[in-house]
Amino acid sequence: MAYMSFMELKSLRMQVELGNQMELELNQLPSDLKLTPGTIEKLKAKAAPMKPTLRLAGMELLLEKADKRHRRSFQKHFKTFRTNETEFRRYTLNQMNYLEKKVLFLTGLGVVGLLIGFAFLHSFIKVLVIKPIESLSSKMLDFLHNRYTYQFGVPRNDEIGNLHSSFNSLAQRVITHTDELKSLDQAKSDFLSIASHELRTPLTSIKGSLSLMRGGMAGDMNEVASELLGIAEMESDRLIRLINDLLDLAKIEAGKLPLTTVWVSASDLVQTTFKSLQGLSQSAGVDLVFENHAENVQVEIDQDRIQQVLTNLMSNAIKFSPKGDCVIARVILSDQEGIRFEVKDHGKGIDPEDQKLIFQKFRQVTGPNNPLVKGTGLGLAIAKAIVEEHQGEIGLTSKPGEGSTFFFTIKKWRFKSAENHAEAS
Amino acid sequence: MNILLAEDDHNISKIACLALEKMGGHQVEWVSDGKTALEKALSGDYDVILLDEMMPELNGLRVCELYQSQSPQPKPVIFLSAKSQDSDVAAFEKIGLGFIAKPFDPMTLNASIQSLMEKVAA
Repeated sequence: MAYMSFMELKSLRMQVELGNQMELELNQLPSDLKLTPGTIEKLKAKAAPMKPTLRLAGMELLLEKADKRHRRSFQKHFKTFRTNETEFRRYTLNQMNYLEKKVLFLTGLGVVGLLIGFAFLHSFIKVLVIKPIESLSSKMLDFLHNRYTYQFGVPRNDEIGNLHSSFNSLAQRVITHTDELKSLDQAKSDFLSIASHELRTPLTSIKGSLSLMRGGMAGDMNEVASELLGIAEMESDRLIRLINDLLDLAKIEAGKLPLTTVWVSASDLVQTTFKSLQGLSQSAGVDLVFENHAENVQVEIDQDRIQQVLTNLMSNAIKFSPKGDCVIARVILSDQEGIRFEVKDHGKGIDPEDQKLIFQKFRQVTGPNNPLVKGTGLGLAIAKAIVEEHQGEIGLTSKPGEGSTFFFTIKKWRFKSAENHAEAS
Repeated sequence: MNILLAEDDHNISKIACLALEKMGGHQVEWVSDGKTALEKALSGDYDVILLDEMMPELNGLRVCELYQSQSPQPKPVIFLSAKSQDSDVAAFEKIGLGFIAKPFDPMTLNASIQSLMEKVAA
């Protein structure tokens, strides 16, 4: 409004300025003014665009008097006109200044109002939208760190509220699942401890009784009784191995068997395993050969567990080797894999179909005609679990008729001499 | 030696008694729960006490602790246990003389006890 008035006044003033110029022109007219009708028309035409009615009337009157050549009257009216004109100019100028200030003030007020509005809008959005999303995001991060307990209170009845409701449902489901998993895990732990006690107790009696009989507690035995006793002893030993293997596997899979790692010489590891298998290799008529391609190398491992893996792979190799043959153990340094342990036999080899199954539980390629001690069918499954617990890989290459090579890798290794340890991880 | 054997499994006790009496020439008194074991250990005169770890009423470790705190002159205690984790073994050796792992071979039971008893003599 004020702006509109201001603009109108401005155009009025322009016309006034035009009028002033006209006034100057009129002032400069010679004193013995002789205006022809043509001149009057000319003046009229000039005065025509001038808006304020007062001014127009004044001019017309002026011209009328001038035409009648009443000089005094002309001068008098001219004076009146000038006074009016000056007052009019002052008035318009004042009015303009006033309106200009008003416009400036209103503009300023508008800008301030707009800023305050923006600030309000911002805090409004922050409170209603950003804050709830931020808190949702932080609760989700909590989830990532296994803190599942939080749920939102009464959710709002809008999109954010829907998001909170969805989050609550999700949280509830995760909590339920976590609880179920926890109780299952507890059940598994309970089973492990009960199984190890309850299964071993009767075996203690069986083994004990057999042992006492073998020791002559029940007097002398004939040949058949002794043979039968031998079978009972062998099978109860196998049962004990089976139980131990099953419990081992269950413990490893449940993560209840933490590794106790130490730095061990790779070649010592192989030599120790060779020693422990001396009896088996001699009775099978198989030679053990060690090819060390990684001198002065140490690996960071749980010694007992990796020894268990090596023993398993080597005893398998011995079992499946023809008499008079040899089993080769190799230690190789590989840039990509770390330290690679290989056990090679010259047995019948393993069919590609069987190779896929061999690391699964209770999968044995041991044929019914295998003359040596039967395994539990868990050895390789345990070996795989142990190697994987060390972040290593286990596998085999084999061709039927050409023997098999089982391998596993250990990533953490270093050279034995302390000043030159190129540790890889 | 006079031996107190606390073991809840009847068959294992029988085998252990046979081995200790017939082969080791010891006198064995057998009880089948922790509470009786504690009473006998405090009232009787034994050279060594064999405690099963898992027993009704009181477990072996608890019997041992109570016995050692109540007896003026406690005798050596050996545990029988199927537990073989490092932490368990450490507890057996700290509280008692040591432990014999189950399943044990009765033929070597006497020798195992003998070697543990040598720790007392030393």
